[in-house]
Amino acid sequence: MSLTELRPASHRQAPPPKNVKTRSWLYRFDNKTVPYIFISPFFILFGIFGVFPLIFNGVVALRNWRLDDPTLTGWAGFANFSRLLSDEDFWNALGNTFGIFILSTVPQLLIALIIANLLNRKLRGNTFWRIGILLPYLTPVVASTLVFAIFFARDNGMANWFLSLVGFGEETPLDWRAQKWSAWIAIATMVNWKWIGYNALLYLSAMQAIPKDVYEAAAVDGAGPWRQLWRITVPMIQPVVVFTVILSTIGGLQLFNEPMMFDENPQSASGGSAHQFQTIAQLIYKVGWKDLDLGYAAAMSWALFLIILIVAGINTLLTRRIGGDR
Amino acid sequence: MRRTWGAVAAGLAATLVIAGCSGRDLEGDNKSNGASGEQITLKVAFWGDMGLDNLKAEYEKAHPNVKIVLNTGEFNAQHEDLQKKLVAGTGAPDISAVDEGFIVQFRNQADKFVNLLDKGAGDYESKYLDWKWKASMSADGKQIGLGTDVGGLAMCYRSDLFKAAGLPTDREEVSKLWSNWDQFIEVGKKYVAKTGKKFVDSGTNMFNPVLAQQPVGFYNDQEQLQMDGGPKVAFDVSMKAIDAGISANLASFQPNWNQGFKKDQFAVLACPAWMLGHIQETAPDQKGKWDIAAIPGGGGNWGGSWWTVPSQGKNIDAAVDFVKWMVQPEQQIEVFKTVGNLPSQPDLYKDPAVLDYKKEFMSNAPTGQIFAATAAGLKPQYLGKKNGPTRVAVENVITRVQQGGLKSDAAWAEAVKQAEKVAKTGKA
Repeated sequence: MSLTELRPASHRQAPPPKNVKTRSWLYRFDNKTVPYIFISPFFILFGIFGVFPLIFNGVVALRNWRLDDPTLTGWAGFANFSRLLSDEDFWNALGNTFGIFILSTVPQLLIALIIANLLNRKLRGNTFWRIGILLPYLTPVVASTLVFAIFFARDNGMANWFLSLVGFGEETPLDWRAQKWSAWIAIATMVNWKWIGYNALLYLSAMQAIPKDVYEAAAVDGAGPWRQLWRITVPMIQPVVVFTVILSTIGGLQLFNEPMMFDENPQSASGGSAHQFQTIAQLIYKVGWKDLDLGYAAAMSWALFLIILIVAGINTLLTRRIGGDR
Repeated sequence: MRRTWGAVAAGLAATLVIAGCSGRDLEGDNKSNGASGEQITLKVAFWGDMGLDNLKAEYEKAHPNVKIVLNTGEFNAQHEDLQKKLVAGTGAPDISAVDEGFIVQFRNQADKFVNLLDKGAGDYESKYLDWKWKASMSADGKQIGLGTDVGGLAMCYRSDLFKAAGLPTDREEVSKLWSNWDQFIEVGKKYVAKTGKKFVDSGTNMFNPVLAQQPVGFYNDQEQLQMDGGPKVAFDVSMKAIDAGISANLASFQPNWNQGFKKDQFAVLACPAWMLGHIQETAPDQKGKWDIAAIPGGGGNWGGSWWTVPSQGKNIDAAVDFVKWMVQPEQQIEVFKTVGNLPSQPDLYKDPAVLDYKKEFMSNAPTGQIFAATAAGLKPQYLGKKNGPTRVAVENVITRVQQGGLKSDAAWAEAVKQAEKVAKTGKA
């Protein structure tokens, strides 16, 4: 070994080949590996707090794991999932989640679009308006929901006071929590209030990147503001629209804080006396941490994960169609 | 220069961290009873106000090495939390209150609690009401808790609102108005007709006291659901009250209910002894406006708790000492005076401090006499393992009737259905 290495060294001047080898190794290491080391903290943390719980949750979903009855343990196969199919509480919660999701997402994005369009004009106190619409987003969910819970109270609630001004429910005030439709509207209102400004601001930033001459050309061709909005603005900010649709799909299907705090007795996590507004996320919490049935709760969260994937996929396809291909 | 400062700061931070760790280690390792002079922290979990604020200060003064941390929370949540921590094997409080609705569930897991008989609690047996002592005992004779209070049962009423409605205000005369629940509902109708306001707070607060008066509750002592006995009687009374329009339909212990106190939305409230503390806390400005009469149907018990010591704690002996101290007559009487909780040791009912006590907040009502009379002659009801969730399920049905989502004549069938579901799965 030493012989073969020494001989070429005598022919060359400098540097010795061993050094070259280490250096090139170092160089390659620096070039190829170090970047990965630099970005690794994120992936390590993501692995620990993102991937591992996801996989572990999948394992738990296939097991019996009950805190109230520790003797019931072991593999359950797909029993938890098949139980899901015949669980009326689950389907009820799924219905509630979708009901509230549609009541919140659709108006939320439409209103955000219209507000963004208004803010995109020349206005006095531009910054003031823009920050103003973002304020609800800055409010902690729990705080705003508690205020809304009082707003929608049966006795002495402000919502009922407004209704009484137009002559509705003066005799028997509306109990917002009693019926599905009223509870859904109340919860959707809270969600809309919080997220409209945020989405509007996203749309606004995308709109400002649209070149002005497109609008001018459209105006010359005789397109009114409404036509401009749907034919020019929306197609041109389509990537942002897709982004907000996916984001609000995920948020809407995971709705938890609002129905939780809206309940008369938040501790019960029951979503009303007959589960009128119990969402899936709430049901998962109740099954896992109040009924102490962790395996079943894990199966539910996997089901929720799949449902979100499907719905987000469908929504993306729909939005793409609305945007460009028409 | 800047560099040296940095080094000094880093060194200081490191020292602090090390000091912090070692301090915690010492505390954690301490398993002694506190006589050694090392610092001990005892965490006490309960709900509402159990009158511990003064006791804590007193005990800490007498035992400078013991620090007591009070953790009050929502009633159901505290019990669920205890159950979780017991199974997890860690994180439970050193001392936890357990209500009668949950005591069967926990005494079935007696191995997770300190058997207080091993710690010399056997001396207390003769001091307690017989049923109170037995209720916290496991089938194999382990004692998991020492009783704090019993509920008893009476009817609190707003004498100022009664006066405005032309009803008598003296507690003897008010008691004579309603010897049974039908008469009570009739009085309610009169009150509503006269004032236009509601009479009782909610249908569930009619259901619970009536159920408490029945010989058998949701479950018999074989753990079989018995909906056609006591629950049916209680349910019918609550439906009758709702149909008569005397209920304000507020959910108990929730913000709207608390607001109902202040807005005079109801004039009577079924009150076990521990309810007095709640009224006092919720509506402090209604001092002297409340009074106490007998409950229709006579007697009954609603609630009452035990102090338990989970065996996973690190300072078991110190915790047991504190529990023993809390159930001594002086402390029990002090709790009775501050929040109204009635002791569960019958000797105290003859104690002048209890017997002659007049609760200023409740128009100087002799709360000691009133509640002791209901508690002493009591035949306790067996509350099954699933009593808590079953009650929640039936209460939800009553709430649905109140909200108008369910007709009262169809409600009983629904209540049976929901209760059977709980009896089968154990879940509300």
